[in-house]
Order: sequence, then C-alpha cells, then structure tokens
Amino acid sequence: MFKKVLVANRGEIAVRIIRACRELGIQTVGIFSEADRNALHVRYADESYLLGPAPSRESYLRADKILDIAARSGVDAIHPGYGFLAEREDFSAQCADRGFVFIGPKPTSIAAMGDKAEARATVIKAGVPVVPGTEDVGNLTDDDLLSVAPKIGFPLLIKATAGGGGKGMREIKSLDEMPTLLASARREAESAFGDGNVYLEKLVEGARHIEFQVMADSFGNVIHLGERECSIQRRHQKLLEESPSVFMDEELRKKMGDVAVKAAQAVDYLNAGTIEFLVDKERNFYFLEMNTRLQVEHPVTEMVTGVDIVAEQIRIARGRQLSYTQDQIEFKGHAIECRINAEDPFNGFVPSTGRITHSLLPTGPGIRVDSGVYPGFEVTPYYDPMIAKLIVWGETRAQAILRMRRALEEYRIVGVRTNIPFHQTLMDSHRFMGGQFDTRFVEERFSLDDAMESRESHSEIAAILATLAAHQLSERSAHIVRRNERDASNWKWVGRWERMHR
Amino acid sequence: MKYITTCDNQEFEIEVVDEHHIRMVDKLQQVDFESVSGQPVYSLILDGKSYEAYVYQGEENWLVLLRGRLYSLSVVDEREKRLRAAGGGRVAESGEFLMKAPMPGLVVAVPVLEGEMVEKGQVLVILESMKMQNELKAPRSGKVERVRVKPGESVEQKQTLLTLH
Repeated sequence: MFKKVLVANRGEIAVRIIRACRELGIQTVGIFSEADRNALHVRYADESYLLGPAPSRESYLRADKILDIAARSGVDAIHPGYGFLAEREDFSAQCADRGFVFIGPKPTSIAAMGDKAEARATVIKAGVPVVPGTEDVGNLTDDDLLSVAPKIGFPLLIKATAGGGGKGMREIKSLDEMPTLLASARREAESAFGDGNVYLEKLVEGARHIEFQVMADSFGNVIHLGERECSIQRRHQKLLEESPSVFMDEELRKKMGDVAVKAAQAVDYLNAGTIEFLVDKERNFYFLEMNTRLQVEHPVTEMVTGVDIVAEQIRIARGRQLSYTQDQIEFKGHAIECRINAEDPFNGFVPSTGRITHSLLPTGPGIRVDSGVYPGFEVTPYYDPMIAKLIVWGETRAQAILRMRRALEEYRIVGVRTNIPFHQTLMDSHRFMGGQFDTRFVEERFSLDDAMESRESHSEIAAILATLAAHQLSERSAHIVRRNERDASNWKWVGRWERMHR
Repeated sequence: MKYITTCDNQEFEIEVVDEHHIRMVDKLQQVDFESVSGQPVYSLILDGKSYEAYVYQGEENWLVLLRGRLYSLSVVDEREKRLRAAGGGRVAESGEFLMKAPMPGLVVAVPVLEGEMVEKGQVLVILESMKMQNELKAPRSGKVERVRVKPGESVEQKQTLLTLH
C-alpha cells in the first residue's frame, strides 16, 4: 500500500484526489504557487509545499521542483490530476526514474496518444475508425496543408498536434480564410504547448461528442465504464456532461465500448483513460483522441456506475487487479455535471476574477459538488476559470434535469460572476430537454439573450428589488453626509462634554 | 421617496413609504428587504411571497439576477427625473475610442502599429487570460492613435490598451 501520495495539481481536482487518498488512509502532499497559498487543496493536504510564483510555468509545470518535493517528503506515488503535467510523458518517465509510481499510464502510451497524428496512425492499425484528415503528419508546412485541404474538403478543422482543450483549433470554411486562421492556430498552439505543429481533419457536421471511460490494469484487463455525452460545448470547451447519452442504446454502447477497449489496448494502456468519439446522425462513430488521464467529467460516470475512479486508479497503480470485470459494471439512473466557471455569461463569457465573498452550496438528495473555492478565496487570472463542478443524479434524465434546476437556483456565489445563469437557461431549453443537440448547439442554436426573452419575466419583482437597494444606498449615503451632526440635543451634548472633562 | 424604475422598457412607479411598505399603482404592499449576511444577495418578502436575488450596482444601471434571468434597470427618484428632463440629452460622444482590457491578463500580441488605419472587426490586441487567447477587435474603423501596451505585458481589467481615433 502507498503510505504517502503527492498530488501534482491544484483546485477542485487536487481536492478530489486528496479525498480519495484520505478515504484509503493514505497521507497526502500538496503543492502550491504563491497565488494559491490559501487554496482549499493546500489546506486539505497533510503536507503542503510552495513551488514558486503564480504563472504555471514557474509553479505547477515545474516538474523538477515537484520531484524534489516528492523526494524530500518521501512519497511513494504521484497523482498528476488533469492538465499541467498529466499528459507529459517526460514527467511520467522522470517519476519512474526517481522511484515514484506515476498514477497514470506509461510514458510510451502517453507519447503514442499525446501526438495526435501518431495516435491516429496507431488506432487505424488496430481497426478503429477515424475522421478523414491529413494522414502523413509530421512537420507539415503551410503550403502542404493548403494543398491538401481541398482534397479533404471544406469545412474542416485545423488542430494542434500537441493539442487538447480546443487550443490551437480553428474551423475553416474555405481556402481563402485558411492562411490567416492557420497562422493564428499555430500561434495559439505555440503559446499553449510550445509546439506550433498542426494537422487537418474533416469537420463532421451535426456531430455529437461522446466519450468512453476506460480502465486498464497491469494484468492486461481492460474494461469500459460506459459513455459520457459531452456535446454541450462552447469554443471547444465542455460546459456540461451527462451519462448515459440520450443518443445511446445497448447495441451501440457495446460496439463503441469494444472499440474503446481496443484503442486502449493498441497503446498498451494502463490506468484510467478516455476515448473521445465523434458520432454523426447516422450513428457512425469516429475516434477523435484519447485523453491519457483522469477527466474533469469523471464524476458523472462515478454517479451512474458507483465506481470510485480515483480510488481505482490508486489500486491499479499499486499493481493490483481491477476490482471489477466488464460484466460487473452496471449503469443506474442518470447523472449530469455542470461546470461552474468564473465567467460572465451576459458579457461574452469574459473571465471574472476577484475575491469570493459569499458562497452557499446546493445540498440535498442526489447532489454532489466538487469545488476548489470557498468564501475568502481569491480567483486569479493565472489558471483555468473552472471553480467548481455541480453534479446531480436522478433515476431518470428528467429527474436529473429537475434536480439540476433546483440545485442551480440554490447555488450562490458572490464576488465573481459565474455561468450559473447559462446553465439555468440551458436546463429550461426544450431542445436540451429533448436531447436534440450536437456540438454546435450552444454556439449556433442557443442564444442566452433570446432564451432570456422567453423566460418567465419577473420584471416587477426585479424593479422592486432594484428600487429598494437604490433607496437603501441613498439613505446610507445621506447618513454618512450627516455623520458630523450631533444625534442628541445641544444641551445633552454639552452635559456629556462637561462630564467627560470633570 | 418616489422612484421611477425602468426595466425592459417598462416603467414602474414605486414609492418607498417607510422601511416596511411600498406603494405601487396606489396599492400599499408590505415589504421585508434584507441583505443576506451583508452580501449583494437580497432576500425580499413581498406580501408573504419570498424572493432571493443578486442585486448589483452597475456602471450606469442596476443589475438584478433573479431566477437565472438578468435584469438591467434604471432607478431614478423624482427629483433626478425632473433634473434630467430639464438638462436635455447627453454630451455627444467624442471621436476617440479607448480600448480597455475586458479582463486582467497577459498581452500576447498587438498586431497593429500606431498611425495605422484599421477596419471594423480587425484584431487590435490579443490578450491571454485564464489560458484562453482573446482577440480584441476594433468596434469601428479608424486610425490607431496610441498603443499603450507591449506583448508580454500584464494588464489589469479596464486598463487602456490603445486608442482609436
């Protein structure tokens, strides 16, 4: 058994991993940047060490410093969480070199799946269907890409070879706009990953983004924990995930699950991973990429399968067998996760920073909140805007939606603006309720403003609230102006004055 | 005190009679209005009906976030309203546009030069915040008069990045 684990991450996911460790009786070591001294994960961990200044490259991306802390604190293993160093094969390799177990896949699997071009080639060999695109990918020049683009056909996507999370991704409608967008994609990829390499992929229209959670142990057992529907996205960032997908039936789940397992086996996978697919209207599915780490949205799978994915990750890393066989995985009910981001949905989703002055979390039946913040915590511009995840479970999708509506209305965060009103509007959208959406839904067919118009209006109540608040404010300022006036009569005041000087 | 509050082009005349009563359209209503632990979240009990909302004072308006919907309202008291009516319209906007940072972040690039003529929608500044690159575009065409930031510089929210004439 591990005695001590270092959690090489921050925010809600660091808290999530610390929780799993604590339940298993494992000591935890947290790391933090100067901006995160008061973060929740720092307070929850058994030990916490400062890494360096706020920017990630000087703190959470400093593998050397993290490994030194690991050595100094005597940990057995390192959990990378998601983002930061989670998908860096060199970090996974360095962990092994220094004698720490990396709670995740082997460096070779991360490398094979991390390079999107190599990943495509590998899974094609294993018989996994992929989206048509540039096959022979290395360092393609702009001229190469411009000449091959018409052969793939428009619309298409430019994607970063080292990419993920929509960074360095651009949609191209015609050859004319391609040079400009190619340059901006390369620039963003260069700044995000230090690698400006890009490739092209045909844009599957009307596609859903459905992913499969896989788990693999060192005995060669590979299972899947079913799918997650992740089509609700904005600028290629997922906003809401659910499991199961309304689009799925038993037959398709079995087919895609088998392919997901096959894709994982193709890179000799170990530990938890996710195979992302695009699924078109005709139920054709294409391998998109594999995320060789724990996903943000893992809780929805935990809610419907009852499997504690992080605990299972630790078990696999210890060299034990998976606790489940494929037959033992059953799906019960429906789970939805809303990502709560510090963004202003009424102002183009611009990031919102500041000190959280008040926070009231939803509770009650079927609710789970994985949060990294609390009142008094400062949300800084250095890291991801996601501050919490609200997850609900219901016996049916309808019950889960009703429960999510209830929970969103209960959730109060003051100090930063959040996208909670966006989620509330989405929960009321008929198309969402009917499961009629693809990955373009939020950007093309869902307008917060229009939805606001059609929502039940309480303008009279709003008017009363604003008026009373304005009234209170003007009363208070009037009070301040009159502050110097004596509140008692002059005679009383003189009396007090004299008593004081007696 | 009587207020004229406008919401979605609808005008409401609301008289705050005392701490616990308001009058709207000649109807006296009982109100209990409390801020929740001193925060801009307010609990309102209006004739027994309970509401909770965020109420913020925006730069020009009041913003009320109630049941997932955002309302923008103007609240003026009677005296103010008379003053405004007498004072006439607002000062005409000058020809200068100050591009301000909509959020704190890091300037990645400024793809324009001082003195350059730009088109509406042209990217003036690329700002990175919370891992996303944001392209700040010209709201109208004009001449870039002054660039006040350089790539690699950190900027605060509302800091002026450049001016457009």
